[in-house]
Formats: sequence, structure tokens, C-alpha cells
Amino acid sequence: MTITFTKQMMKASKHSRQVVLTLSLFLASHFNLHAEVAPRLSNENATLNAITNTTTNKVNNIIDQANLASYYAGEDGSAEARMIIVDENGNRQMRQFTILRKDIQDLGDQNMLVFFSQPSNVKDTVFRVEKQLKSDDNRWLFLPALDLVKRISAGDKRTSFVGSHFYYEDVSGRNPNEDNFTLVSEDKNTYTIAAMPKDQQSVEFSRYSVKIDKQNFLPTETIYFDKSDQAIRKMTVLLVQDINGIPTVMKSRITNLRNNSYTEMQFRNVKYNLGLPDNIFSERSMRTPPKAWLD
Amino acid sequence: MKIINNLAVINALLLNIFLLLFSTSASASNESNDDWAEAWVEQAPASPWQVTGFIEAAYGQFLQTNVTEHNASLNELKARINIDYSHELFDASGKLDSYYDAVLTKTIFHTRELSISASPFSFVDIKAGRQVLTWGTGDYLFLNDLFAKDWQSFFSGRADEYLKAPSNSIRTNWFYNAVNFTLVWTPEFTPDNYINGERFSFYSPQAQQIVAPANGFPVNKTHKAQWSARLKTRINDIEVSLYGYQGFWPTPEGTKQPATNTMQNQAYFPALNTWGVSATTPFKSGILNVEYASYNSIEDSEGTNNMIANGQHKFLIGYEHELAKNLTANVQYYLERTKDYQALVNNSQLPEQVVAENRHLVTLRLSYRALRQTLTYSMFAFYSPSDKDGYLKPSVNYQYNDQWLFSAGANVFFGEDEFSFFGQLEKNTNAWLRARYQY
Repeated sequence: MTITFTKQMMKASKHSRQVVLTLSLFLASHFNLHAEVAPRLSNENATLNAITNTTTNKVNNIIDQANLASYYAGEDGSAEARMIIVDENGNRQMRQFTILRKDIQDLGDQNMLVFFSQPSNVKDTVFRVEKQLKSDDNRWLFLPALDLVKRISAGDKRTSFVGSHFYYEDVSGRNPNEDNFTLVSEDKNTYTIAAMPKDQQSVEFSRYSVKIDKQNFLPTETIYFDKSDQAIRKMTVLLVQDINGIPTVMKSRITNLRNNSYTEMQFRNVKYNLGLPDNIFSERSMRTPPKAWLD
Repeated sequence: MKIINNLAVINALLLNIFLLLFSTSASASNESNDDWAEAWVEQAPASPWQVTGFIEAAYGQFLQTNVTEHNASLNELKARINIDYSHELFDASGKLDSYYDAVLTKTIFHTRELSISASPFSFVDIKAGRQVLTWGTGDYLFLNDLFAKDWQSFFSGRADEYLKAPSNSIRTNWFYNAVNFTLVWTPEFTPDNYINGERFSFYSPQAQQIVAPANGFPVNKTHKAQWSARLKTRINDIEVSLYGYQGFWPTPEGTKQPATNTMQNQAYFPALNTWGVSATTPFKSGILNVEYASYNSIEDSEGTNNMIANGQHKFLIGYEHELAKNLTANVQYYLERTKDYQALVNNSQLPEQVVAENRHLVTLRLSYRALRQTLTYSMFAFYSPSDKDGYLKPSVNYQYNDQWLFSAGANVFFGEDEFSFFGQLEKNTNAWLRARYQY
């Protein structure tokens, strides 16, 4: 256990060192242009490091803000959602469900309940997650036809969520510690950030780029690239609305760029800071949904 | 009326499917279809009533000559109606199956659920009426779950939900902090729908051969109550349960002379009490489960009565893990140890056919989901090294769209002896097909 862990740590630090090195070189070459103008700098390296650190801090700060805005809005929340899944032949499927969420800590662990209502073959199915940053998530599934609450393994987070183009990770949020980030550019409205997975083997992409709105820190577009740097998958935010002062993604789409199949996710009846009690995130609620919080 | 309407719908949809499947211009423009987005905004007033269901045609056939009356193991056209009513204070639910069963050559109306649930106090949930009940940790293996099962459905290729048979029960669920106590009272004992000859053949120890009496065999029913209880809590990431059961063997494990007829012995359900424990926990990014149950066959507590099954220790350990993306494996080891084994052998008229003292069973489930989970391949294999027999259950499920589900599969039994648990079912090996339209 410990050995594997240490190896992973080394691997991770190696990766980040590479990125920092690239960044330093870039900055260094850039810096030389200004060197004549500012010859009084006595210790170039220290300054470079300081700049690099500041940049890294800045990009990590943006990513944290984006995560907060996307997945931790309010202390808790509820929303009705539906997914329209369109395959490459234009055939459509639909999933409709209600989500209850409560944060244990901002940017930390969360509890979630997903109550399916449509189509009829998944009606009354309930999915429960305890999102844990430090270990695997706990997941349960309630199958009403069998009266069965089944504990399911955390599994690969980059597998389809209920048959849609959204992965589990898209729904619950990808752990920022999995990637190294670089601020590529920024204009008046947008940050453009490049992300490299620390463990290339764990994911189906080699990198992704994300555009983040400077106003509300919501990612508006994410494009994933494969090993040969082909764009393979795209997340687009289609509609943002203000709910009780919280900018909220009401419509988004994930497209498989290889065949143009996609899933559109839409929300309605979004509420924040309901004061959801902790004890509703339990097996009891899977068999007996807490009606008071689902209206 | 509903059925007729739906049949018309099926015809129309079948036509549509054919047109869709064979049209080459089925590709749609992906970017411009925003029409459904508008429909969402206008929220229909929520009705307290909800009606859903399905129509299903199913056919299964034996793959070899069997001694059963029919060659078909499954041949039916079924209509299911689910009616749910939601009130502020309670929920009511009805699930009704009506079908024509060509194997039994009769029309059957079957209530799978007719229940009312309510939470009269903050710490208790009650569900009363006809309902399906499940607990325990096994995958297709049941130790502490003595609620009724339908083995005829399971072996014939009906949907998994039919493995669990309903019972008329009152379930109360009590909650105190992280502790949950469930008590189920079934006023009239509900046995399994076991193999009795009307659909599948089996080994008769009396006749010492494989038989399939077309109308089943006479079983003396019991009308007494059964009780099931579970105490469940969670310690860190481990879910721990304690179980108790007072009732009867769910299959007719006993034979006795009825008072009215001194000549003919009759099968019946001997009294059975059980207790057990289970634990489930995440382990190495998979799920590990262990379960134990002690079966006390109280009418034959010494094991000396060869007309009544002996008690058993049952032990299970299982592990589920995602091997690769969309490929999940589940392995289980199950041990059934007969109590008072020597007494059983000494008193048996056919000691050479007595099950091993330790009956081992290993199972493997592999399931692979493709095409964004619309296509599922599944293989479930049972193998008993002690009985030298086994059971394979391959299946393919294709969810064509939100309405249509197509499934195909097989039930393959094999064994060295014709009297062992799966070996006796060898001639029942069958393959099946199902098409379901959900509404």
C-alpha cells in the first residue's frame, strides 16, 4: 500500500515538475525580452520561481472557484433534471430525476440522492452517493421491483452515468488533484485553462482545455483531446440562470465529437439552502423518499 | 380495453421500428432539435395518480427431450399495469399482471403488489399489503432472506424481478439514530414457487427417477404465520445486520402421513427457525460481503428423522469489482454444512444419494455494458465441486429505446448425478426470448 502510494506521489510530483519546468522556460524566454529594461534584478531564478508560484496559485485558485461554482453552490440544493440522450442515428432516450445534495464541506465531501421518475423502467429507482475526496465514493442503488438496496462499487468514475454522455465525474465533479493546470490565456470575459491528467492511464483523454467565465467562474466549455490531440468530447453550457443570487447552469450538453451523439442535461425547479437534514441521506430515503423535500 | 389499446400501439410501433431499422436515412441533424426544450418549461400539474406498465411476449424452449408435458418452458403474453397514488400522508401502490400462459394453458391474473405505505411517526415506516420483500447480501444466493422466491420464473427466463414472489405482509421499519430495525409479519406463511413438475422436471427420491407430474404434486399447506426481523447499522464504512426468522422451510422439505389418509405420505413445509449475520464493506475499490445463517429444523433437531430436512449452517463470502470500464465481475463462495450429518446418513434410505456434509458452491457473474449501457451481456455461472453440478445463465439485454426492451438467454443445467441440486434439472436446459414494450 505505502509503496504504491509513494510511487504515485513520485509520479505526480515528476509530472508537476515537468509542467513547472515548461512554464519556467516559457516565462524565462519571455522574461529575457524585458531583461534589458529591468537589469537591476539580482536573482533571476528566485524571481522566476516566485512568478511561477504566483501563476500556479492563480490557476489553482480559478479552478477552486470554478469547482465551488459548479458543484458546491449554497450549503445544499435540490433540482429536477432531465437528460435527453441522442445517439449517432438520432434515436432519443430520456432520463428524468430529482437530485438532493448537501455539502459536508465546501470543496470537500458531499451527500447526494438521485430519485428517478422516468422512463417507466427506472421509475422509483434511487441512486445514493457519499462523495469522498480522500477515498472511494460510497454508492448504493435501490431497485424497487426487487425491494433491493444494493451497495455498488465505486468503480471507474469515467463511465457513463445512467447511459448518458455524462460520466459520473461530470455529475459529481472531477477531483482537481487529478490534474495539473496551466492558465493559457485570458481576455476580458474568459480564462482559458489547459489541464493535464497526472495519471494518463486512468483516463481516456490526454488533455483538456476549459473556458471559465470570469464573472461567475462557471466553466462554459470543456474540450477533451485524445493521445493524437484530436478533440473527442465537448461539454458546452447552453444556459445559465440566476437562482437566489447564485449563477446556475440550467442547460448543458456533452457531445461525442467522433460521431456527434450527445446528451443534453436540463434543470428546473432549482433551489438552494433548503436546510436539508443530514439524516435524509440514508437507506430509509431510498425506500421511502422524503416527499417534503422533493416538491 | 387497456390491453387492446396497447396491442394496437405495439403494432404501430413494430411497424415504426421496421421502418427505422431498414431506412438508410435515419441519421438526424443533431444540433437543431431543440423542440423538446420548450415542452419542459410548461410544467404539467402533478397528478397524485401515476399509471405505468408494460406488455411482454416471452418464449422459451427446452433444448432436449424432457419428460414434461410441453416442449416450451415459457410461452406467454403478459400485460402489466402499475398504479401509484401519492397522498401527503400515505402512498398506495398496485402492480397487476394479467397473462395468458400457454405452458399451463390458462389465463392468470396475478397481483404483485397492492400495498399502502405511511410514516405515522418520524421514527417508523409501515408498509402493509401484498409486497415483495428482500434483504441479505448474496447475488442470486439467499441465506437470511426467507421471503418467497419464484424458482419457476427464475429458471424459465422471466425478468429478474420475478425471482422474488410477493407475500401478504406488514412490514414495520423502526429508526433510532443509525440503527434500523425491521419487523415483517406474514400472517399466512408464503412458500416459494418451487419446481413441481408443471413446468420443469425434477428428481423424485420416492420414484428414484426424474419426474414431471403435469399438475404438480400434493403438498399439505400451512396457514400459520411467519416472522422475519433484521437489525441493521453502520460502523464506519461497514454495514452490519443481524437477522432472525420464525416460520417454515420455504420449499416442502418434509413428508408426513396425513391424518385422513394413512396410506399416502404427503409433502409439507416443516417448521424452521433461523438466525444470522451479515456485513458489507468497500474493499480495494470493490464491494466485499460476508453472510452467515443457521437453519434450525426444529421438527428434526437431532437430524434422525429421514422424512424432514436437517438443519444447516450457511456461509457466504462475495466480492464485486469493476475489472475494466463497463465490465464488472462478482465472485462468491458459498458453503452449506448439514447439521447432525452422521444421523442423516444413518437414517437415510438412500445414503448414497445424500448430499455431502459440506456442499460447496462457487459463482461468477460477469456483466459487460456496451453502447452506452443499452446493450448488456451477462453471464452467471454456478458450480458445485462437491455435487459436481452447475448452472449457467447467459443473457443479452438490448434497450432499443425508452419503450422497447429485447432480451435473450439460456438456462443450462449440468451434473454427474441425476439426484443432485442442479444435476436433476439437466433436462430442463432451455433458451428463451423476450420482447417488452414499456409505457
